[in-house]
Amino acid sequence: MTTEKARVPGRAMPLGARKPLVDPREIEFSRLKKWASELNLCIRCGYCYEHCPLYRASSWEIDTPRGRLLLAYGLLTGEVEPSPYVAEKMFECFYCGNCSRSCSAKVSPTDIFTDARADLLDSGYAGEGTTARNDEKLCMACGRCVSACKAQALTLDMGSMRVAVDRVKCKGCGVCVVECPVGAMSQRAGFGVTREELSAAVQSYLRGINGSPKVVVFCCSWSMTPGLQLSRMESAGAVNASGVIVSVCSGRVDPGLILDAFHQGAWGVMIACCPLDECEHDGNYRARERCVSVGRLLDVLGFQAERLRLEHFATGEVQKLKNAVKSFAGEMASLGPI
Amino acid sequence: MEIDVRRLQEIVGEEDVRDNAADLYVYGSDASVHEANPSVVVRPETVEEVQAIVRYANAQLVPVIARGAGSGASGQAVPIDGGIVMDFKRMNRIKAIRPRDVLCKVEPGVVCDDLNRALQPHGLWFPSAPESGRIATIGGTIANNGSGVRAIKYGTMRDYVLGMKVVLANGDMVTLGADTRAQASGYQLDRLMVGSEGTLGLIVEATLLLRPLPRFKAMGMAKFSELEDAGETISDIVASEVTPSLLELVDDIAITALNKTLNMNLPQVEAIVVYECDGRMKEAVDYDMATIKEICEKNNAFGVEMGSDPKEMERIYSGRKKLFAALSRYREGLVCTSLADDMAVPSSKIAECARKIHEIGERNRVVMNAYGHCGIGLLHTKILMEATRKEQWEDARRAVDEVYEYVRSVGGTTSGEHGIALSKAPAWKKEKADSLQMMKAIKAALDPNNILNPHKLMDAPDDWVTATKLRYPVKL
Ligand SMILES: Cc1cc2nc3c(=O)[nH]c(=O)nc-3n(C[C@H](O)[C@H](O)[C@H](O)COP(=O)(O)OP(=O)(O)OC[C@H]3O[C@@H](n4cnc5c(N)ncnc54)[C@H](O)[C@@H]3O)c2cc1C
Repeated sequence: MTTEKARVPGRAMPLGARKPLVDPREIEFSRLKKWASELNLCIRCGYCYEHCPLYRASSWEIDTPRGRLLLAYGLLTGEVEPSPYVAEKMFECFYCGNCSRSCSAKVSPTDIFTDARADLLDSGYAGEGTTARNDEKLCMACGRCVSACKAQALTLDMGSMRVAVDRVKCKGCGVCVVECPVGAMSQRAGFGVTREELSAAVQSYLRGINGSPKVVVFCCSWSMTPGLQLSRMESAGAVNASGVIVSVCSGRVDPGLILDAFHQGAWGVMIACCPLDECEHDGNYRARERCVSVGRLLDVLGFQAERLRLEHFATGEVQKLKNAVKSFAGEMASLGPI
Repeated sequence: MEIDVRRLQEIVGEEDVRDNAADLYVYGSDASVHEANPSVVVRPETVEEVQAIVRYANAQLVPVIARGAGSGASGQAVPIDGGIVMDFKRMNRIKAIRPRDVLCKVEPGVVCDDLNRALQPHGLWFPSAPESGRIATIGGTIANNGSGVRAIKYGTMRDYVLGMKVVLANGDMVTLGADTRAQASGYQLDRLMVGSEGTLGLIVEATLLLRPLPRFKAMGMAKFSELEDAGETISDIVASEVTPSLLELVDDIAITALNKTLNMNLPQVEAIVVYECDGRMKEAVDYDMATIKEICEKNNAFGVEMGSDPKEMERIYSGRKKLFAALSRYREGLVCTSLADDMAVPSSKIAECARKIHEIGERNRVVMNAYGHCGIGLLHTKILMEATRKEQWEDARRAVDEVYEYVRSVGGTTSGEHGIALSKAPAWKKEKADSLQMMKAIKAALDPNNILNPHKLMDAPDDWVTATKLRYPVKL
């Protein structure tokens, strides 16, 4: 069989490995070890697939919580050799926690991933995954990202005036990316959440539908999205028919993205986010502020501010979301196109 | 085994072939106790791609293992000889919903519950989605001949397949069955594919019969202080003139596990029988519910509760869906393994079988419980054991043997819905002893090079414990 190197999307790994790579056989996995019996309790049913935004984006089984738990198990038993690719996979998680919340064996994949990350990092296998990165050439060390990060993953080193990202703590919410005034913070493309990818998703949805009210819904993956999980309707084209675009956290929906959706022909834009006190990243507060200012701008431009709507949904309130989207679409149908 | 990965990349594109160690490790497991890595994973999107891959594999004598979601509980999708795992998740189109013909056409990678979501606006449903339907695919469910909790009234997967398109081991595609419910004599080749576990052909499209969504539903729950009484109740209901749409047994072990992990707040009794009736008229549904209540009470049930609040019904139903995993937390130190997990017995034997299961577990120092879609004679059990202790695997082997010996003695069958593959093959081979040659002849005729999911069913190893590496860290 021809051997082929693991294909790691994006930049070659490991990034910023301060420590030398440890011989894979020598790695202790001291933190991961404590999860050994939990890993046996996972029955590998795969129910977690349904809830994972990464799996929705790739549909490869390695991108599921079960897939990553298997990697963690394999790392412990020696059946999986640590590699830049494995590290990359371990650092790919948006920490929405849907898998941990829904697991009826009560296994907590996200906690296990965090410890696997720390162990890998210690051995020099620093994946980038969904974590934020800082472009030092652009960064002005203003510190806005640091204060925006509720996971306390960012620190500003006053000596070097550089922002450091703690990849174990970073939960990939993307709030810092939007907060950064100079575009120094970013996340790797490939998970459907960069500004360009979100904008492309809006575009391809709006192009795909004709007639009915063109309503775009930015939905955070914490509140679980409705609709078909992984199947496709023959007639609906490449994109989902509902107009629901998963943005991971509402905090990463920036004013430009909202205006861009209108510019591309949306009749209305809804941001579906967690209830006010329930967002781990305070992304919903940011979204609310943005909605107010973009709403004012819409008014100034002579469009109705009600074309932009913010709604709150708790985890699992799929039906409520569906109903809200339906009634919003009804209102937009009566307003008509811009 | 030589596999030219570049050739496969030419067929499906570079993006849809993976052969790095980490991906292969992930694709070496399902929900069973088994583990074996494939050599490469490919994800075709069209029938032509499937055909080209199979032609290549047949020429090179490389195994091809179809995979849906990998939720099989007996090692069906575990590539025991390595080879190409063909992941069908990209062939996931719902191609047509035809309400006037009461059928739909779907690709194999469509997720069962997705199909039901898409059918709902048409007032239709596909009742045979398994409990794992939120991830399980149509292809995998057909190949396992799976069924759901509603099987007692609505039947199992084989009752829903009207026809299918299948790619054979030589790469040819055949259309089996028809778009009609009536199909007379001639070999029922579409049915032959149902339950074939990917060993005879690769399903690339299925035509499925649908049903109108029931208008009214009600659910009841009866408590028992003796497991036997609950079992007898189920036998009596099955033999009565009422056909509930769901009839489940939950024993004390399952109750403990559900309360512990999901805070279900179920009464801690020896057994619960859950039933549901559905229909077009509320009065008819209520009448059936009352008849079942009478049967329960005649068998010493107490505190029979009935209701039709959709939220409460969903709570009970979703607890049932999660029971398998919840059993993992039954007792500290034990893990929940999918072994001897879905035998079926004649409906009068439910009580006896449930009791036997408990006895056999105790005798062999493992915990075994009884629950499941008992309305179709199917009893689920799991073996809860210390999986990292070598001796426990000897105990489990003995327990499995004893359970199946009993099941055969009463005319039951090894697997009611989860399939045979590896874990259940030794018992199943004993059950089917006099038809194994016939099956081998069919396999040899359709797949002379033995490339399609080899060494499963009648060709599986004789000892399930050593058939592959176990998924637990244990040295045997
Ligand atoms: C928690 C849990 C609950 C479950 N509940 C139920 C239940 O209620 N009822 C039930 O019946 N089962 C149940 N199962 C077992 C299993 O989930 C189902 O049988 C399911 O239908 C398998 O589908 P899959 O897509 O995961 O198939 P896989 O596991 O991927 O594959 C199963 C078999 O089908 C073959 N196959 C897959 N696709 C094709 C294809 N296109 N062509 C030919 N062969 C193919 C594979 O080679 C393999 O042999 C449960 C499992 C778990 C873990």
